[in-house]
Amino acid sequence: MQTILISFIFIPLIAGVLAFVLTKSVRGICALLAVIVNFLIAIFLFKKEAICTFPWAGFGMDFSLRLDHFSGFIILAAAFFSLLVVIYSLGFFKDKDNSSQFYAYLLVSLSFVNGALLANNLIILLFFWEGLLLTLFGMIAMGGRTAFKTATKAFVIVAISDLCLMAGIALTGYLAKTLMISEINLPLGSLGSLAFILLAIGAVSKAGSMPFHSWIPDAAQDAPLPFMAILPASLEKLLGIYFLSRICLEMFKLNPDSWLSIMLMIVGAITIFLAVMMALIQQNYKKLLSYHAISQVGYMILGIGTALPIGIVGGLFHMLNHALYKSCLFLTAGSVEKQVGTTDLEKLGGLIKKMPLTFVAFAVAALSISGVPPFNGFFSKELIYHAARDRGVIFYVIAVAGAFLTAASFLKLGHAVFLGKPRQEIKDVKEAPVSMLMPMGILALTCVIFGIFNYLPLNSFIQPILGERLKEYSLAGSSGDWVLVLITLAVLLGALAHHLIAVKISGNALKAADHIHYSGVFSVFYSWAEKKYFDPYAVGIKLINKIAKIFWSVDRAIDWVYASLITNITFAFSRVIHKIQAGYYIIYVVWSLVGAFAVMSFVLR
Amino acid sequence: MKNELVLLLIIFIPIIGALILPFINKISASFRNGFSFAVITFSFVFSFLLLPLVLKNQVITIFRYFPLGFNFVLTADNLAVGMAIVASFISALIVLYSFDYIKHYENQNEYYSMVVLFLGAMMGLVFSGNLILLYVFWEITAVTSWRLIGFFREKKHILRADKAFLVTVFGSLLMLLGFIRMYQETGSFDLFTIKEVVKMHPISNLTIALILAGIFSKSATLPFHTWLPDAGVAPSPVTALLHAAVLVKIGVYVFARIFVATIPISLPWQTIIPVIAGISALVSAGAALVDTDLKRIIAYSTISQIGFIFLGFSLSNEIGIAGGLLFILMHGLAKAGLFLCAGIVEQNVKTKDITQLGGLFQVMPVTAVSFLFCAFSVMGIPPFGGFFSKYMIISGTLQEGHLLIGATFLFGALLTILYLFRAFNLVFLGERKNPSLSVKEGSPLMLICVASFALLSLLAGIFIAFPNQIAQITAQQMMGIR
Repeated sequence: MQTILISFIFIPLIAGVLAFVLTKSVRGICALLAVIVNFLIAIFLFKKEAICTFPWAGFGMDFSLRLDHFSGFIILAAAFFSLLVVIYSLGFFKDKDNSSQFYAYLLVSLSFVNGALLANNLIILLFFWEGLLLTLFGMIAMGGRTAFKTATKAFVIVAISDLCLMAGIALTGYLAKTLMISEINLPLGSLGSLAFILLAIGAVSKAGSMPFHSWIPDAAQDAPLPFMAILPASLEKLLGIYFLSRICLEMFKLNPDSWLSIMLMIVGAITIFLAVMMALIQQNYKKLLSYHAISQVGYMILGIGTALPIGIVGGLFHMLNHALYKSCLFLTAGSVEKQVGTTDLEKLGGLIKKMPLTFVAFAVAALSISGVPPFNGFFSKELIYHAARDRGVIFYVIAVAGAFLTAASFLKLGHAVFLGKPRQEIKDVKEAPVSMLMPMGILALTCVIFGIFNYLPLNSFIQPILGERLKEYSLAGSSGDWVLVLITLAVLLGALAHHLIAVKISGNALKAADHIHYSGVFSVFYSWAEKKYFDPYAVGIKLINKIAKIFWSVDRAIDWVYASLITNITFAFSRVIHKIQAGYYIIYVVWSLVGAFAVMSFVLR
Repeated sequence: MKNELVLLLIIFIPIIGALILPFINKISASFRNGFSFAVITFSFVFSFLLLPLVLKNQVITIFRYFPLGFNFVLTADNLAVGMAIVASFISALIVLYSFDYIKHYENQNEYYSMVVLFLGAMMGLVFSGNLILLYVFWEITAVTSWRLIGFFREKKHILRADKAFLVTVFGSLLMLLGFIRMYQETGSFDLFTIKEVVKMHPISNLTIALILAGIFSKSATLPFHTWLPDAGVAPSPVTALLHAAVLVKIGVYVFARIFVATIPISLPWQTIIPVIAGISALVSAGAALVDTDLKRIIAYSTISQIGFIFLGFSLSNEIGIAGGLLFILMHGLAKAGLFLCAGIVEQNVKTKDITQLGGLFQVMPVTAVSFLFCAFSVMGIPPFGGFFSKYMIISGTLQEGHLLIGATFLFGALLTILYLFRAFNLVFLGERKNPSLSVKEGSPLMLICVASFALLSLLAGIFIAFPNQIAQITAQQMMGIR
């Protein structure tokens, strides 16, 4: 058992190193073999439980791995997405030279993600978790000669949250007197709350929540596309939400009365709304998707933050669904990019005839993310709505408003890319190769299956995570509140009507959101956002550079004391002494008289 | 008796070797180079041989009585042997690198004898059990570093060397005053006698402050730090030696020796020292973010990281002290690598100004990757070694309840990430500023050295169990738990 657990970490790691050194023809196969083996082991180990511990670094830093239902499920999901993305990459990277880097980074990432998921010791978790920074940097930086700026941005933002996580882990370890996740059970006291907040910052920012989000849209433009499908869309979300649930369910036992629950819900609600507002006005396929990748995290955090069983189930189910449809959407963007050569919405249009299969996959995933029944997104969103309404109507209203805007922006996207008139430039476009279509097809199919037969994932994957909290009942089907369902349907129809009217007035699918973009208050905020006033990274770097200037002047001031002040005082002093003994007869006489007087007055006193 | 002999050889082989080096040059220059490498390797190997002994809690002591407290005392415990291993190992690799680096310049005899003497003095200082003996070795390092910083003999370089010498010697004179007061208060210069006496009579604060001034000036901590970035005019292997292996680590080591292992510091100092270290870490990190000279940036980074080590040693818990010890190792490996990479860049592109550099990744990939690896270790990113030392120090700080100080150092860690990426991006990525200039990669021997530092930083993280175990045992011995 122990060796099998370790193999989750070592098989992808070794394969990653091999993929880096092997020749072009073999490296893809090597990567494929590794993810297939990884996937098979994940299936084999699903629903099994094991803990194994090796002594490692002392100070409670034992190399302890734990496989239980929850980590087994997430590992299975991660293995599934990696498998599909590797298959897709076989086609995507066919005529690109840098595939060795990509496969290596992807496999090493998978290894680290597996390690972080299995970790039963917080230090091991941090070790793998923070190690992902390296592959994150590498994967973005390989996107082009200027991509390193985005890579640095991503690295710095994620590193800040990882530093918070590190502080949180140190504090938790100190309060709990152990670093073993399975043994930690802390009350949310004053220090306990601080530890919870620090850990939660690490978790939600890994998932891509605000205010740690701003690298994702930049990376969407610079990084190679399969990167977006594997890290920000699936593995990072799985990892972040997994750890958030571990904190809330196991380590701290968050309950609805806690102010921390409200905090999480606020973070979730703000993320939903602001990110989807940004998504609405994007003019680029990949960038639009990336804002949705941020916005959807808001739903998961909102669901888990409610601390109600129904909300947690909804949040976790949404995590799974989101990974399915969002990686599918990114893959469709990738095939459009590869076949047409651009993802700029202004240059696209009418692709439905050229790429029908890609369109079908896109349509299924878009319907899922918009929460249209009977696709999977509908069911998870309903659960979250239910819990949000129970905690406070304002959260529910924001969540539903987010759904409206999501639907509106996907109508715009789909209309602009696939419908309408084909452009001149894209006449001889062909459908994507099979190795790229297959993963999209599988993901779209899974979206449908997890929607219609939603009891399958709920009963076998999600509900067992909550164990006794959920008592006897099953949440399959729907949340059981028909009012909420009717509101959802009304909102979706509203979004459709809004889109049709807007297109009719403006005459262009791309301008369907312009009346929001350029209306009054919004236009001001949007122009500020475009100037990066709301990008915490841009603002923070400016601030830090100012602070650094101050520190620099402190440093120069100290140096001035040594280089100028002390030397000048020394020279001035020696000049005075020099003058006193410059060889003038009269000065020596005066000094002798002064001396004699001093001696006399001392003696005669 | 055999172990005592080994101990004496570790110190005196390099010192005597340094003196006969110029004569060996009469035979052949490459023989001289090989000899200096062999001498340092000798110290490394023999220090390593002592390790199994001291790990069993054995302490090797040599004691010869001299009047007026000037006893000749050498002690080899865990702390001393560990420090000797780290310093001699890093120095050996740096000397190997110098073979190709320094061969273009004059005064090579002086260079090699000063480097070897430097290391010998370091070994002597590490094993000294008597404050006066320690002071003597301390000043030998000051003289050798003065010669080495001014190696290129230009007016500006000599002024910088003078500055380094004056600041550190001013500090060490204050420290000598502190040692004399210590003698008055305890009646001895011997550390083990002092250790017994202070259990009854605590040392006065003025004495502690005087000794600390010496330590801070040697380890380039605020407000005595500005000589260190200025010392960047020295040849790159020298700066690597000063920053990573020997000079600045002397102060840190003596701090550990006196204030952790001998006189447990009293309560107010447990706050004062972290505060000074924190200010030092932040100010120098800020300066590193503004400066445009590659070697000065890395030098400010050293000052900043030294703050972390002082923080670790000022904590009175095991994990913090062990973190500080581990930090000496990890920082030494990574910082030496960074300086040697900067040396390759400087020598091949003929500039250190990062605004004039760029796009060097294409022409010097090995250097670039080595630089990046070492930078990751300094930033404390797993799986590199720096991660563990940083975590352990932060963890120790929070255990003491110093939340604010912990937050300060986390901010310092963030600045570390920013300035190292700034340097890396400007030097190795982006567009070439001067594409007409043909730039080639460093010589194979130099590349082997930088790549070894980079790989060792990685391996030290993956196989953390071994160094960490030694650090833990050492920390326990220093705290007197074992």
